[in-house]
Amino acid sequence: MSRAYRIKVRESMTRDIRAEDCIKTQIEMLEVLPPEDMAELLAKELERRGFERQEDGTLVRNGDGVCVTVEPCTCEVTVAAETEQRVQLEGTREGYGYDDIGPSGKTIRERLVSEVKADLERRAEQSAARLQSEATQKLEKKLAELQPEMTKVVNRVTAEALKQKAAQMGDVKEVHEDTEAGTLTIKVEV
Amino acid sequence: MNAATVAMEKPRSVSRFEAALLRMLRAFVPRAPGEPLPPMPAGKLVPPKELSGDYVHLVKDTLSKGCVLYLARAGGWRRETHLRHGKAAFGRLWERTPAEELGLTFSQHALNFLVWLAAGRPEQPAWSPSVENLTPGDQLLLFLAYDAVRETEAGSALRNRAIFIQHGLVRLVFPDDFAIVQSNPPLDFDTWTEGVGASICEALQPRFAQRLLMLERHKNEIGDWTKMRQIGIAQDRSLAAFLASAELTKRPDLARFLLRALSELLVPELTTAFWIGGLQGSGPGRLAERLEVHRHALVVLRHVERLAAWTRRARATGYLDDDYAIAQLWLSDWERYRGDELVAISNQLLRQLEPLQIGGDVPADQEPPTQHVEDIRQ
Repeated sequence: MSRAYRIKVRESMTRDIRAEDCIKTQIEMLEVLPPEDMAELLAKELERRGFERQEDGTLVRNGDGVCVTVEPCTCEVTVAAETEQRVQLEGTREGYGYDDIGPSGKTIRERLVSEVKADLERRAEQSAARLQSEATQKLEKKLAELQPEMTKVVNRVTAEALKQKAAQMGDVKEVHEDTEAGTLTIKVEV
Repeated sequence: MNAATVAMEKPRSVSRFEAALLRMLRAFVPRAPGEPLPPMPAGKLVPPKELSGDYVHLVKDTLSKGCVLYLARAGGWRRETHLRHGKAAFGRLWERTPAEELGLTFSQHALNFLVWLAAGRPEQPAWSPSVENLTPGDQLLLFLAYDAVRETEAGSALRNRAIFIQHGLVRLVFPDDFAIVQSNPPLDFDTWTEGVGASICEALQPRFAQRLLMLERHKNEIGDWTKMRQIGIAQDRSLAAFLASAELTKRPDLARFLLRALSELLVPELTTAFWIGGLQGSGPGRLAERLEVHRHALVVLRHVERLAAWTRRARATGYLDDDYAIAQLWLSDWERYRGDELVAISNQLLRQLEPLQIGGDVPADQEPPTQHVEDIRQ
């Protein structure tokens, strides 16, 4: 008479998962002054807003796991979001063997281990996908915040460039700036 | 009726294989664009050891008359202005160019290709000439053959061969067919921007414009994100290489089809949904990949900036400069197809894709409004 016996396996896995998302785009600025002057005005405005100038000339601001990098010469903006997480996963599987028929206990154990590992891999992939989704949401949120800020940066840089250009052209008599309406009026005597 | 006349009218006799091959060749030429093809020979035929003189005569006759008729019908009949040695020349294709400069020559490779294709593309004897050994006539034949068989099993076999992967005309007209091709050899456009190849390009301008329009208009039926990306990459490669070659050889008139197609396609009311509205689901998980697909969907618009750069250079070309006539012809095309408006519409559409669109309204609570007057003294 055959006798059934239970086989139980347990496996665990620790994995460091890293997810990132990054976009590069260009901000458009009018070339009121020569490119190097416009780049310097842009850099100064960004520094005023908490960006740090790097050795390679780019300006970087980090916060909430998102890094914003601006290359003032090309006006290229890179926004990169990263998340990291250490996941610890455990799984168990049970099976039954019989002492007189069917596959041996070793075979059953190997199959169960393989199934548990596959399950752990699947769960690790789900965690990675979830983390990736978080990184992307972080990036999208940052972009939504950055868009109005960059608009103001461009407007201020353009206004400052216009003032400098006007000063080069002649004697500036009056400057009237209405930031609410988005207008700048400069009277120049040439 | 004398014996000589009877001899001239005696029908030529060809073998079964040669007859099938001639039917196949006549399926390639001549055709009016859109004309349905006669049925292609089915199955694989065994090529004979030798081809008859009558067959060679008929092939030559078909090629010489068929290619000319095809090009004339495709667009050569149109009275257009194109460049000849840096000067504008007006008229039909054969009026703009002396007859001796329009001659198409075909090498042994053309005959071998036809035999190889009719025999079912056997491994042996293989047909694998290098691009350098093909004449423009040979390459035109390959283009016509590919156009005829591209939706058959033979078409998918041709797409894997280096000759077709590098064939500039094929890649320009059918970039979507090569979207999944892995290899990336340089595309040959030098053949098509100089000499008789450029004349062929002139005749095919309506075909180029028609195919480009068809491709762009069908993009919003593409639901697969990967497919959209691949098509965009293939289009970008072809257009970039073609425009670079046209610029190098000082033949901006050959890019007229792009202006013509875009002037028909782009209107101020268009939104990016025209291209990407058909993409299914939310797409790849990463924003970077979704943005890349969107950008590739509108890749043709990115090349408008290159044409705008040509225009800026043309406007700065003086009367005494060498390229004055070239510049004036380009400016004439630019105005005819409302180039400045195309630039504005393209930039507006490309801006819609970008995540940081500068110029949007700043929310009122972000910064209190200020109003001040400054006196700036030098």
